[in-house]
Amino acid sequence: MALSGMRGLSVFISEIRNCQNKEQERLRVDKELGNIRTRFKNEKGLTPYDKKKYVWKMLYIFMLGYDVDFGHMEAVSLISAPKYPEKQVGYLVTSCLLNENHDFLRLAINTVRNDIIGRNETFQCLALTLVGNIGGREFAESLAPDVQKLLISSSCRPLVRKKAALCLLRLFRKNPDVVNVDGWSDRMTQLLDERNLGVLTSSMSLFVALVSNNHEAYWSCLPKCVKVLERLARNHDVPQEYTYYGIPSPWLQVKTMRALQYFPTVEDPNTRRSLFEVLQRVLMGTDVVKNVNKNNASHAVLFEALALVMHLDAEKEMMSQCVALLGKFIAVREPNIRYLGLENMTRMLMVTDVQDIIKRHQAQIITSLKDPDISIRRRALDLLYGMCDVSNAKDIVEELLQYLGTADFTMREELALKAAILAEKFAPDLSWYVDVILQLIDKAGDFVSDDIWFRVVQFVTNNEDLQPYAALKAREYLDKPAIHETMVKVSAYLLGEYSHLLARRPGCTPKEIFGIIHEKLPTVSTPTISILLSTYAKILMHSQPPDPELQNQIWAIFSKYESCIDAEIQQRAVEYLTLSRKGAALMDILAEMPKFPERESSLIKKAEDTEADTAELSAIKLRAQQQASTALVVTDQRPANESPQVSQLAMVKIPSMNNMENNSVDQELTQANGILGEVEPQPPTHAPDADILGDLLSPLAIEGPPGVSAKSEHNIVSGIEGPLSEDDALALAPVGEQDNVVKPIGDVAERFHALCLKDSGVLYEDPYVQIGIKAEWRAHQGSFVLFLGNKTTSSLVSVQAVILPPSHLKLVLSSVPEIIPPRAQVQCPLEVENIRPSRDVAVLDFSYKFGTNMVNNKLRLPAVLNKFFQPTPVSAEEFFPQWRLLAGPPLKLQEVVRGVRPMSLGEMANLLNSLRLVVCPGLDPNASNLVATTTFYSESTRALLCLVRIETDPADRSQLRMTVASRDPTLTFELKEFIKEHLVSIPTASRPPPQPQIAASDPGALLAGLL
Amino acid sequence: MIRAVIVMNDQGKPRLVKFYEHQPVEKQQEIIRSIYGVLCSRAENVSNFVQADSTFGPDTRLVYKTFATLYFIVIFDDSENELAILDLMQVFVETLDKCFSNVCELDIVFNFNKVHTILDEIILGGQVIEMSSSEVVKAVDGISWLEKNPNSIIRVPKSISGWQGR
Repeated sequence: MALSGMRGLSVFISEIRNCQNKEQERLRVDKELGNIRTRFKNEKGLTPYDKKKYVWKMLYIFMLGYDVDFGHMEAVSLISAPKYPEKQVGYLVTSCLLNENHDFLRLAINTVRNDIIGRNETFQCLALTLVGNIGGREFAESLAPDVQKLLISSSCRPLVRKKAALCLLRLFRKNPDVVNVDGWSDRMTQLLDERNLGVLTSSMSLFVALVSNNHEAYWSCLPKCVKVLERLARNHDVPQEYTYYGIPSPWLQVKTMRALQYFPTVEDPNTRRSLFEVLQRVLMGTDVVKNVNKNNASHAVLFEALALVMHLDAEKEMMSQCVALLGKFIAVREPNIRYLGLENMTRMLMVTDVQDIIKRHQAQIITSLKDPDISIRRRALDLLYGMCDVSNAKDIVEELLQYLGTADFTMREELALKAAILAEKFAPDLSWYVDVILQLIDKAGDFVSDDIWFRVVQFVTNNEDLQPYAALKAREYLDKPAIHETMVKVSAYLLGEYSHLLARRPGCTPKEIFGIIHEKLPTVSTPTISILLSTYAKILMHSQPPDPELQNQIWAIFSKYESCIDAEIQQRAVEYLTLSRKGAALMDILAEMPKFPERESSLIKKAEDTEADTAELSAIKLRAQQQASTALVVTDQRPANESPQVSQLAMVKIPSMNNMENNSVDQELTQANGILGEVEPQPPTHAPDADILGDLLSPLAIEGPPGVSAKSEHNIVSGIEGPLSEDDALALAPVGEQDNVVKPIGDVAERFHALCLKDSGVLYEDPYVQIGIKAEWRAHQGSFVLFLGNKTTSSLVSVQAVILPPSHLKLVLSSVPEIIPPRAQVQCPLEVENIRPSRDVAVLDFSYKFGTNMVNNKLRLPAVLNKFFQPTPVSAEEFFPQWRLLAGPPLKLQEVVRGVRPMSLGEMANLLNSLRLVVCPGLDPNASNLVATTTFYSESTRALLCLVRIETDPADRSQLRMTVASRDPTLTFELKEFIKEHLVSIPTASRPPPQPQIAASDPGALLAGLL
Repeated sequence: MIRAVIVMNDQGKPRLVKFYEHQPVEKQQEIIRSIYGVLCSRAENVSNFVQADSTFGPDTRLVYKTFATLYFIVIFDDSENELAILDLMQVFVETLDKCFSNVCELDIVFNFNKVHTILDEIILGGQVIEMSSSEVVKAVDGISWLEKNPNSIIRVPKSISGWQGR
């Protein structure tokens, strides 16, 4: 076609091909661009054919990677050419060269529209293709109705309609308002009945986009999707040209199953049964065959079916069947299937209850770590990382360590980081953790970041039992002939602090320790020398009685470095030399480092930041939230003060939050206690996540600036006086400073409100504790599981959880252990029963002791009114008789609500849906009204249908009229108030202003305060 | 959504480049280079999947397939199924094969414009429009016919799309 007669283009391509190097190519391209530019300038004599040829050349040059910054106008102008060949080139090249914001595109909008509404189908196709590829917002606004018309028109050919479907999808992406939710659900239902598979394929893609944006509006399409699957997978009702390697349109099967995954569940039992029949057929009927293409196609369907089964949370039996299939896949010859098997197993980890079955395949997964394909090795690593827990951490981490020796360079860093994190999260005992990290440094020192060894130091410092062991290990590594510099750092640090604990062992006298460390000094870099100098000072301090020979040796080194060009080293040398001549004072100043405050592992944080594959990560995160583990649970990254206003409100909302000053240790304070330099009247200057070893070393190596020299004197003086007791430190601390309470991580109120709308998540978190929650609701009953996690490396004691129930709820909490061991998580089931409708809220009074401090929190439990709703769509025939029957107050209440927070009708429908009030479209003829229904369950009322109608005023979004009806007057009232709370501004902000403190012992008063 | 379709040869020379989200030309070249760097070092008999998030951002995947001297590459996000994308590539190549009868690299080099036309009948705006290669061939034949007979009154030959099923 285009080749015929386009000699110029072919010649140009040949010449480019004949270029010997990039330079020649560039010259040829520049020459051609010059030529085209000149020809375009003198438009006279330029035939449409010439234009076409030059425009194709431009596209070719663009593909080669050269910027083509002219001639766009000529390309666009071809669009309005009267004849097909020029028009086609214009459309095609324009959609490759221009982006959606290009000004010239705007000039073409009218021509494009004329082509779309014109009667020439070939022109329609071209225009739809352009708009579908690069149409922007402006196109969306002016063309959407025309495109919709083409899609649903019965007189259009499939070729046009399928393009219109995808064109509309593009316009919808650019401006979601172009697809009116109300009308479209019906149209979509019809489109999914389409017999032509080309149109159906495009419509399904459009449907996926619509449903991913708002599935609620498209419930009616769900059975249609199941029908499509039945048609394809069960009835094989497909024309020959859509059968691909014997499989009925695998692409459409996959898309349809993808669409179904946007619905949270399939409720209708019949539809569910039909769907599971199809899925079962796919799961059972797929075998690995010889033909690669057939394999790809059948397994595309199979893997999508697996994903859908996982999503629908099928019965355990089917799940085990899926895991069994995946287990088979990860061992097959076909690499693609191995890859996807591993990837899907990682996803499967999200599903509870199957982890144990997955663990059975551990050996095979470990084998995959040695697969010839790096893509597969990566998936295997991800899976091992995800499936690791306390029970298998030892095996997995040891495998990773072993693999580290032979792993590709590109994977080592990730491998080292993951091994370090797993070791930290799931260490069965801390000595093992120290072993792992030291091995890690030994084997892959280049890939072990400072964070990793800082973390070991923190653990060892905080656990006295561990110190002799760690020191001994460090000593052993120093015997090796060549060790990585990081190993020098960590062992020097550990031996400086704890080598005196090894004093009686052979080869561990201060002198010997010093000797073996000092051997390394000539080979290390400047920052390490600073650490070594500190170690020498510590060794000197520990050699009691002083060994004059050792002392002289060390002094000699200090004197040598007194004139070092590096300021840090020089300062340390000068100070250590002076200090070590002070005799007894040295003892206090160089005393053992105090414990570190508990804080989130920067490692895990880093892993979150660098983790590329977010799907897997979120799976792991989710699992961490749902599942019991001893993990230091990864915390929300969001800064606590993201929305300052709301968090302030949160502080006052729960009265007890205010009296926490006196019952907690603050991180800064703990530091103040240990690190005298910080007990200055000036506020602490470092950020909480500042380099922890920076803090660690600061009393030893006092920073340089002149202003600080006074501080260092102060240091020494207080050092002589002896360490401050904690009380002193408290006394020194500014009173009432916000910083001095155990600050919750994240906004407590926000977490509560989020949990009102979903059933699992984090209820509360502070640096020491995380409380997670998972709930299930059945009619008027519910069961919670509270996950109480200790994030620290010490035990939490005096743990108490008491429920303060409102009168309408019966709550039974199983016993809560008084002690939560370090890094453990305990699960406490909590049963809830709803007696009658009420908006009152149950409160969890949770307290624990960390160190010497009591921490107490009163947390609202998300056992709120809407949890006892069961979304119940109602047809017009059911609705109107009920609505009329419930004639007026007190069963039917109406109120005009003002001050509604601004939201579109769609948002309001989403809000209602998230409150489990199902919006029934089409019941109210007025498009700006919403009708929603639900069934409420309580012991006294049993199941009661609730009907809600909201009439909005499109001209004034801030007010609406709401009518609520049910057969119970209390329920009607409570429901009305409940919805109002959610409509009128953000729920947190509608709470009353700060209140006086209420005695925490009086649950009634407390509840009143809360409400 | 499909973000890009790239065809390049085993020397890393691009033969077809189509991005469904606009990328400046320098970025396009950078992407092509980095993909080539990864692909040329891959052995035979390994999977067709390569991690792409470093070039394309999180949640993107890259699937490639080699046909003789050419790499066919599709980059897409997590709303697509990897194996189904392999099917898509197979359909694309089978269609090329039908249109050029035994397609080889040179066909694609000299008829890059026709390859664009064919691709436009398979993928539109990053979404698949047609998976039946015989339907695509019909549509492309129709376009070729129109190019040769620009003055024809019959705009769409009947063969392009039947009325079946309507």
